[in-house]
Amino acid sequence: MRKHLLISLFHGVVLTLLSSFAFSIQAGSPEQIIRNNCVGCHIPESDDKLSRISYQRRTPEGWEMTIARMQLMHHVRISDQEIPISDEIIQKLVKYFADRQGLAPSESANYRYILERRLNVVEQHPDAEFAVMCARCHSGARVALQRRTEQEWRHLVHFHLGQFPTSEYSAGGRDRNWFEVALNNTVPYLAKHYPLKTQAWTEWQKVKKPQLEGSWRLIGNQPGKGDFQGVMTAIETEKDNYKLSVSGYYANGDSLTGEGSAIVYTGYEWRSTLTLDTQVFNQVMAANGHGDEMSGRMFLRDHEETGIQLSATKMDGKSRVLGVMPNHIKAGTEQTLRLVGTALAGDIVLAKGLMITDTVSRDSENILLKVKAAKDLAVGNTDIKVGNSRLMNGLVVYDQVSHLEVEPSYAVARVGDNGGATRKTLASFQAVGYSAGVDGKPGTEDDLRIGYLPAQWSVRAFNAQAEKDQDVHFAGKMNKNTGIFTPAAAGPNPKRKYSTNNAGNLAVIATVQQGDKSVTGTGQLLVTVQRWNNPPIR
Amino acid sequence: MRMTKLMIFLTNLSARSLLISTVMLMVGCSQAVTKTDPDGYPKAAPKDYMVIVNRPNRVNLIDLTTNQIVRSCQLPGTAAPGTVVMSPDNRIAYILADHFSNVYGVNIDNCELVFSAFQSYANIRIRSLASIAISPDGKSLYTHQNPVRLLSDHFEVMDTRIAVYNTADGLKAQPVKTYPAPRQVTIMATDKNGTLYLGAPDIYAMNPNTGETRLAIKSRGLETPHFSQRDSLTVWPIGSVSNEFIRMYTTARYQDETQDIDKAKWLWGYERIDLTTGEAESREFGPLEVVLFTGMTRPGDKNQMYAVLTQLKKYDVSRQQELMSVDLEHTYYCLNFSTDGSKIYLAGTFNDIAIYDADTLQKLGNIQLTGGDMSMSTPQIFAREI
Repeated sequence: MRKHLLISLFHGVVLTLLSSFAFSIQAGSPEQIIRNNCVGCHIPESDDKLSRISYQRRTPEGWEMTIARMQLMHHVRISDQEIPISDEIIQKLVKYFADRQGLAPSESANYRYILERRLNVVEQHPDAEFAVMCARCHSGARVALQRRTEQEWRHLVHFHLGQFPTSEYSAGGRDRNWFEVALNNTVPYLAKHYPLKTQAWTEWQKVKKPQLEGSWRLIGNQPGKGDFQGVMTAIETEKDNYKLSVSGYYANGDSLTGEGSAIVYTGYEWRSTLTLDTQVFNQVMAANGHGDEMSGRMFLRDHEETGIQLSATKMDGKSRVLGVMPNHIKAGTEQTLRLVGTALAGDIVLAKGLMITDTVSRDSENILLKVKAAKDLAVGNTDIKVGNSRLMNGLVVYDQVSHLEVEPSYAVARVGDNGGATRKTLASFQAVGYSAGVDGKPGTEDDLRIGYLPAQWSVRAFNAQAEKDQDVHFAGKMNKNTGIFTPAAAGPNPKRKYSTNNAGNLAVIATVQQGDKSVTGTGQLLVTVQRWNNPPIR
Repeated sequence: MRMTKLMIFLTNLSARSLLISTVMLMVGCSQAVTKTDPDGYPKAAPKDYMVIVNRPNRVNLIDLTTNQIVRSCQLPGTAAPGTVVMSPDNRIAYILADHFSNVYGVNIDNCELVFSAFQSYANIRIRSLASIAISPDGKSLYTHQNPVRLLSDHFEVMDTRIAVYNTADGLKAQPVKTYPAPRQVTIMATDKNGTLYLGAPDIYAMNPNTGETRLAIKSRGLETPHFSQRDSLTVWPIGSVSNEFIRMYTTARYQDETQDIDKAKWLWGYERIDLTTGEAESREFGPLEVVLFTGMTRPGDKNQMYAVLTQLKKYDVSRQQELMSVDLEHTYYCLNFSTDGSKIYLAGTFNDIAIYDADTLQKLGNIQLTGGDMSMSTPQIFAREI
């Protein structure tokens, strides 16, 4: 029951309710909702401040998690006479707080991965004590995406130990006087690095926020599916609320089309929910200051690990070449290339030695070309020009794939399903090809990144223990064509030693054929047990 | 650095050692046929029994001669963590339950609830991390308390303390005394003189009449240039059949003063108090090759150390050698011995208890509980006249 409530509370309130347009509710004001639901525990202070609440800043997801915690742990039943749907009340509160007490773009910039649910990012913490005091249980980004006064950071330490007494008993906690260290070292550290008042936030509050209505050219890449491009139209229905329609295509021709809605928080935090064909996607993107570009990720609501790294460019009449699909061509070959852009017009100019043999089709957003690359063409990045618009280093010319890197180099998949409450977490890999560069030696500074290459995929035991435990047999299946690994079912497996779960430690092998030769790259995949608590910010 | 490597090591291992969760139903469980004397207690020759808790809320008395469940009592609360200590006459099981918060005393001869302590009060929420103990006369129950004051808009973590309850106070008992105590305490035990031992970053000995506390075994505070800082975590107050308060630790022995962790040798050790003499000792007893959750010395021979998780292992303490090791059918968190030291009982995790021969580590059988898993409950074993 509790788990279902948790899932429900985190189910995309920050993202948007698809059904929200169907209602026309004269909502109570956020101030009224706060007065009715928060004041009582939070004490009114001068200047319209409330204890605790007024001394913190967060992302929209951060505020959503705070409100969810008030409901789960402190049993607050958030209600409003005029709004029958609690998700809408919470959404209103999140919007209110994120707009007034959010993070400036520069404050969230380094930690977008956690908001975008890029869960295989391995954090590097410059401060070892921060890493063990804070980031051993959750991401460091979760901390770095908050701003508080020193007193508020102190309250947070008391909350941690009061709510989770095992904090000072678990590994990394029991090797020190955790509470003492947290109060005396960690609180001052956090107050210094993540203070409530910053110049960045003061300035961002003064900035006129961009208008995001219009059509957007989408371009991205999804592991397992490949390049993606499309158009998204956003119509503002009320301030910072947009109705969306998306028409998109993968490089293989599969379409991704549908509608949804978006909310913009803090002037730049774009969050949307879309039903594209039969699947529900969420977008988490950040708009730039001019309001003509957004970047982030679009992922499946129910499988956040699966998604498209995405950029959106306003179709404002300005001519831009945004990308080439694929972004590489092998010397001595002929290939079909798609130029993706906005308001594309004028002559197409490619680098010397790249000859357009056919213009298959062209309009203002897409140009499909057949291009032949001369055999002796120099290896390197080349520019593409359409009319007056130039894409710097948009097309890579290469001769041989000297080596491959697997992205991500280290990933985690999780067993799931099998009657349990938690879905499987898949892992998706891509093969990045490199050319050895002028010196002909791979692994040196002049190596040239070619881009994502189609590869054949396989797994093998990562080490002797994994071999002995038959991890390859038990842990799941790698799709040899897509690089998507589907872990096995959750739960103890009586067929395994110790009846253990279908965990495994696997090497992930990508293979690209180069004539008679195979080029391979290797990554690591840890297949492990479920995460039971999956809030928006891990 | 040390912790990072150890954590990775432990994480990799623990991913492999998660538990069996298939539910097996106990068959053939019957009430033991016993005669009773006028005071209502069974009357027979002394033999071994086990008390253990399993989900959702059962306290089981198991006859270890027949391997049958004699009685299964219901706890008024939820089972976890199910830390058990027995009264000196082995009639009352004191159980930490309700998510590390409340203590119940259950008369295992008739399932009567004879004691309860609801530790939290007013706006003070209290949790005890498997830290309960009973005085040798059975009159006092001790808990280590982690209190937090829940204020309207914030929490305030309070100092930790030992609370003393009179067991005679029965239901809804209140502490009669509290003493300041270190933080990070897990297991506790009393010796025959009544000294209360606290398994904290170091092991402390407290006089529960005065609260006076002294260091008994230096552990985390130990500074030995050729060893890394010890790491210890246990939530199972076992050891009564060996008359010991014992917990295991891990450490790395460096090759030289450069303290190169990559060349260090990882070792298991134990910290032990003899509960008759109060003698304290700590020493390494074998190589650290796999994660182990609990360990005890064999009753009557403290040179024989046994430990368990995915394997049951036997060590020669003085030679620091692993003598025997057997793979288990699934993980077992907690071991205990028959009172004569001839058999080992493995409990915790699932709802079956495995029995092994202590000499050969041959498996002798299983005892299956009705209901869910034992989770981290402590199997307490004792001999009683019945």
